[in-house]
Amino acid sequence: MNKKPNKMGEMPELLTVSPSPHIKTSDSTRSVMIDVLIALLPAYIWGVFMFGIRALVVGVISVAACVIFEALVQKLLKRPVTVSDCSAAVTGLLLAMNVTAAVPLWMPVVGAFFAIVVVKQLFGGIGKNIVNPALAARVFLFSWASEMTTYVAPGNRISSLAVTLGDADVVAGATPLASLGGGTLPEATLGDMFIGNIGGCIGEVSSLLLLLGGVYLLVRRVITWHIPVAYLGTVAVLTYLFPQVTNSLSFMLYELMAGGLIIAAVFMATDYATSPLTPIGRIIYGVGCGVITVLIRYFGGYAEGASFAVLIMNLLVWYLDILGMPKRFGAVKKKKQKKADA
Amino acid sequence: MAYTFRGGIHVDEHKYTSDCPVETLPEPPVVKISMNQNIGATCIPAVSKGDRVLVGQLIGNVPEGALGCPVHSSVSGTVIAIEDQRVSSGAVESVIVIQNDEKNEVADTVVPYTGSIRDLTPEDITERVRLAGIAGMGGAAFPTYAKINSARGKAEYLIVNCAECEPFITADHRLLLEHPEDVVRGVKILMRAVGAPQAYIAVEDNKLNAVKRLRELCGKDGIISVKVMKTKYPQGDERQLIFALTGRELPAGKLPADAGCVIFNAHTCASVYTAIATGMPSVRRIITLSGDCVATPKNLSVPVGTPASCLISYCGGLTKDPEKIISGGPMMGQAQWDTAMPVKKSTSSILILSADYSKKPSTPAVCIRCGRCIKNCPMHLMPAYIAQFVQLDDMKNAEKYGAMSCVECGSCSYNCPGKVEIVQYIRVAKNYIRTEAARMKQAEADAKKADANK
Ligand code: SF4
Ligand code: SF4
Repeated sequence: MNKKPNKMGEMPELLTVSPSPHIKTSDSTRSVMIDVLIALLPAYIWGVFMFGIRALVVGVISVAACVIFEALVQKLLKRPVTVSDCSAAVTGLLLAMNVTAAVPLWMPVVGAFFAIVVVKQLFGGIGKNIVNPALAARVFLFSWASEMTTYVAPGNRISSLAVTLGDADVVAGATPLASLGGGTLPEATLGDMFIGNIGGCIGEVSSLLLLLGGVYLLVRRVITWHIPVAYLGTVAVLTYLFPQVTNSLSFMLYELMAGGLIIAAVFMATDYATSPLTPIGRIIYGVGCGVITVLIRYFGGYAEGASFAVLIMNLLVWYLDILGMPKRFGAVKKKKQKKADA
Repeated sequence: MAYTFRGGIHVDEHKYTSDCPVETLPEPPVVKISMNQNIGATCIPAVSKGDRVLVGQLIGNVPEGALGCPVHSSVSGTVIAIEDQRVSSGAVESVIVIQNDEKNEVADTVVPYTGSIRDLTPEDITERVRLAGIAGMGGAAFPTYAKINSARGKAEYLIVNCAECEPFITADHRLLLEHPEDVVRGVKILMRAVGAPQAYIAVEDNKLNAVKRLRELCGKDGIISVKVMKTKYPQGDERQLIFALTGRELPAGKLPADAGCVIFNAHTCASVYTAIATGMPSVRRIITLSGDCVATPKNLSVPVGTPASCLISYCGGLTKDPEKIISGGPMMGQAQWDTAMPVKKSTSSILILSADYSKKPSTPAVCIRCGRCIKNCPMHLMPAYIAQFVQLDDMKNAEKYGAMSCVECGSCSYNCPGKVEIVQYIRVAKNYIRTEAARMKQAEADAKKADANK
């Protein structure tokens, strides 16, 4: 708007006349996304500490690729470039945390392309994608299954940029989830699992730090408790009731902390665009994720139960929101209404 | 435990003037009194250019049989013009411009009532309230006499709205501290007029000093009790107040009387008392002038019709470049386009805000589906979805998802990180649905007529 320059405190030529409310919260998409990044960082840094500089390299490549692809696609599609909202950076970091430190370095780039270009921008950009970009990319990358499952042994810090697959000191033993599927408790103790002294993807190993991140998001009111609690609660109940080893309590705890379940429940399933908006919708969604995760773990061959579960539930979000539609203030239940009318 | 409702938001209070005693504004040289002071019909000027008018003299008449409140002069002086003025809503209002002679001569129609309130029948009281031109002073400006009539015999509870949940505004707070007895007397008069056996004075818990004063005055008989409400926006919304105090949910489209309640604003109660005790109609009010551009924000007692510019210069002028001038609160008030805008009976505050409050985000507004608006909506709607439907031009679904139940409180837009102007989309839908309904009705009527003419 053109305003004549005016002396301090003088009435300008034109005032803004716009609809109420005239004051707004300082929160923005950017501030929310930065909160998510902050919440992810401790678990990621732990990953770098456990798996070496290479984990850092994978992360930097992944984040950079996501941001660059987003800017490029937006330029190409002549949309405003919105990388400053940090949502692409969140996708990049999540993607990096969901691969192992030993992946070839082109893989995060391919994953970023799939996440940002195919899953996010082609569906209309932020808020409009149907499935979670980072998760979809992770599952897509499983086309290279052996690369994706070359887990690094805990504390085996790899710094070399070039990792040859099959390098004996890279590969970890069976992951905890694999041994659970085989009907035995893993070698790692529950304490190791909790702190993150196990093999796995870069960001999924430390249950403690991931939960801490979740608490931060709750305190900052970025997420509500509904999805993580419903999801983890469902898995806990099901694995406790139907254990595959004799000690059902330890079995349950191992199941909860293995296979990226916590990062899925706290960070993936709560992704705004791909989860329901209503409290009831969120609870059904969380329970659904939990049930599908357990089913896949028990009956499917995949260790990736959590990823598939969330992706499947992503597809039902619209429907769950209709189911979860809150009772309108002052609305009378249909039956009562009929009685009153009669 | 303070009373409250489900949903709503915490807004930064910005109540800078809570401790500023009400000051009386020096006589403004000119007042501009609008003939559209309240909901209802536009008044017909009862004076002409050149006439001398006195304080409290009738200058605007309600058209025969219409809903509305008569308008009185707030100063003594000469009518220098009766003119049309375009206001920021786009409508044209007729205003009577009076040159103030600063003599403050009172019209002889202003006669105090010295008898006991018990000698007045409810109808007498209502008639006096009507003649005094009192309309809701909290902002909605519904004619008070009409509200009394709609609730007479139906209201079990008379609720006095002292929530003042909008940020910045402290006018009612000061009134409650400085003249609580006027408010309580007004409540007693209104209880008699409405026939309500019990009254609740609802005050938010950020005004506990006022609660204390009111409790001293109300005594312990429980007929009038002071209720402490949680400080949360929109606590002062009629439906949320009724729900918080009685647990009754009043659906959209129903009147408080349908839930056995009638609600008056604190300032309205005080004006009712003044009008009956002194005979002075509704010509003055307490108003908060605030905002980050104002040198010294104040609470002021001003004649109706005072231009905002007079208030601003009395408060030391502006210290920053203003971006918006708002009449009313920042959540629901109307942005104005100049400072000539006069105070009305329902103007509880005038705010002058700098561009700091309307910063534009660097990225375009888009819903990121965080769900906050759904969590916060006091009417338990799904604002994000309604806004989405409006963007897709799908008004059917917007209606199905409850657009018409929206009370336009702005809680959703306030807290939206995606910076979507949600309420504005919903207003668009409401407007469309209303006009569409009117059109259908018209079409039906026309069809009937055509049938009859066959
Ligand atoms: S949808 Fe309407 S009632 Fe609900 S928060 Fe928004 S403005 Fe308020
Ligand atoms: S608050 Fe804004 S961003 Fe969040 S769901 Fe509502 S409209 Fe979307």
